[in-house]
Amino acid sequence: MEHDLLPEAEPGRRGLWLGILVYRCASFVLTVVLAAIVPLAEPGLTWLALGAVGIWIGVISWFRAWDRPVVRWIDLFISAGFLLVAPLLAEPGSLSEQPFLAAAYPLSTVLTWAAGAGLVPGLAVAGVLFVPLALSRPLNDLPYGELSAGEIAGVITMGVYYAFGAVTIGLFSATLERAARDLRLANEAAIGERERAARARERETMARTLHDSVLQSLALVHRRGRQLSTQPQVAGSEVAELVQVVEEEERALRALLQRQPEDAPEGALPLRTVLQAAAFGISGLTVTVSTVDPVWIRAGGAEEVSAAVRQALDNVVRHAQATGVTIFGERDGADISISVRDDGVGFDVDEASMAADGKLGITRSMRGRIEQVGGTMRIESEPGRGTEVEFRLPAAPDEVTKP
Amino acid sequence: MSESESEPIRVVIVDDHPSLRAGVKADLEGSGVATVVGEASDGGEAIEVVRQSMPDVVLMDLSMPTVQGVDAIKAIVEELPHVKILVLSASEAESNVLEAIKLGAAGYLLKTSTASELADGVTRVYAGDAVFTPSLAGLLLSEFRRTADVEPGEPGLTQRENEILRLVAKGYAYGEIAQELFISTKTVQNHVRNILTKLHLRSRYELMRYAIKRGLDHTG
Repeated sequence: MEHDLLPEAEPGRRGLWLGILVYRCASFVLTVVLAAIVPLAEPGLTWLALGAVGIWIGVISWFRAWDRPVVRWIDLFISAGFLLVAPLLAEPGSLSEQPFLAAAYPLSTVLTWAAGAGLVPGLAVAGVLFVPLALSRPLNDLPYGELSAGEIAGVITMGVYYAFGAVTIGLFSATLERAARDLRLANEAAIGERERAARARERETMARTLHDSVLQSLALVHRRGRQLSTQPQVAGSEVAELVQVVEEEERALRALLQRQPEDAPEGALPLRTVLQAAAFGISGLTVTVSTVDPVWIRAGGAEEVSAAVRQALDNVVRHAQATGVTIFGERDGADISISVRDDGVGFDVDEASMAADGKLGITRSMRGRIEQVGGTMRIESEPGRGTEVEFRLPAAPDEVTKP
Repeated sequence: MSESESEPIRVVIVDDHPSLRAGVKADLEGSGVATVVGEASDGGEAIEVVRQSMPDVVLMDLSMPTVQGVDAIKAIVEELPHVKILVLSASEAESNVLEAIKLGAAGYLLKTSTASELADGVTRVYAGDAVFTPSLAGLLLSEFRRTADVEPGEPGLTQRENEILRLVAKGYAYGEIAQELFISTKTVQNHVRNILTKLHLRSRYELMRYAIKRGLDHTG
């Protein structure tokens, strides 16, 4: 509820507020001393007014409420009022002897505004307070026509001090704020780092668990299932179906096991993960993913690339009559090269026969996708010698971004 | 594979799942090329069984309770260097496959390999060949590229070896590579064997460098 400065504000800002409080008290003491020296027109009212200001200082110090807007506004009215009242309470003309009687204390209001609300509001308050400050001379029966140039300059100088105070404290406060924000960001980053490490550990544990139990048993079931399916008294087709389900499960788990390296450059994904995602769920033939790690692919283009590779795989399933397909990815200079190669029947790579086989549409679609990420595509095939589709695209920069 | 008249290859199977061992055994013996002379359910037991039964080839799982596959591989390679080791892995993503190969295993097969792939793998390893899958070739390529810029004096891949490894990674069979590069299948096999030798040499260099660095750190 209460704006408790000590535990909440950072040390720099607490020092700033204490400095302003010290100035406020010192200028108040100076005002009291001056009031004792200066001949007063209304001594009773004067001490009453000073007492009120003293109580105000006590209240805001006690509640440490210096940073609240409502406190600043009350403070502004008190200071403006004090600037207007002081020349009336003092003996007429005495302000020419003691110009600081009214002017010293209100500077603390300017500083409070600059520290709490910033440079511009601080300057505005300095400007606002300059009005009663300027009025204080005529109110003390000192019309500007009768003042010396030095005395007029004194009033202006006081206003300039207010402005200086606002600028200095405003800038200082902004610096403190920036430092505090940097500190906060650094803290958040450190927390993030810790969380990332914890997540990596968690992933490691998960991977190990999956590997030691699930994947092992899946491999086992796979093996047994295949053996059963060769025995005549078992319904072979059913078991073969079971094997296929298991195979799929296994591939999914393998994809899950692929851990995202901690040192991935910003905005990049490991190519291996992208290729594995493309291979996910392809059944009926052996899909092997092989990469020369580390290869980073821009995260923005990963989806297009994965979709293009997926289309190539679908093509293999549909047309190639292959038993296996290998997806190979590597970094080649500034490029990424991805090859999808099957051991199927192959075909003639010319427009006419591809159009006749209905391969032209999907080829265009793959090419379109890969060109969208600034890449190219090449198909190499021959009847009886399998097919290789090669994609080339620019690699993600591989500087590892580390804080 | 036409050597059906010759002695079957003596194999030890190491895996912590008895039914997987049974399955692999049935597949291997059914193919007629091998006979299973021992089984073990973890790395420690594997070393004992291998000492006793003196197999030609060990099929080794990597993730097992207590003594891990890689530790057993290290011990077997040191003690009985003539025994060939073929890693049986549940997934291509297994992190210590590369380590196992660097330690001296002659290749790896997935546990889901078919009976004929298994028999073929065992036969080839027994004959002194390396059994590479495309994924393993990818791993080796990144291993050689990773260390290429570290120590220029160490054995790197020749252009031809690099080419062959890339083709294996793309899924080409040795025969297809031979066709593609106009060389014999035997030459392809020799290249692959050399690649493996270089990898082992490298890991020895690495160990040495590590030892020297540690020594310097201790005296400094």
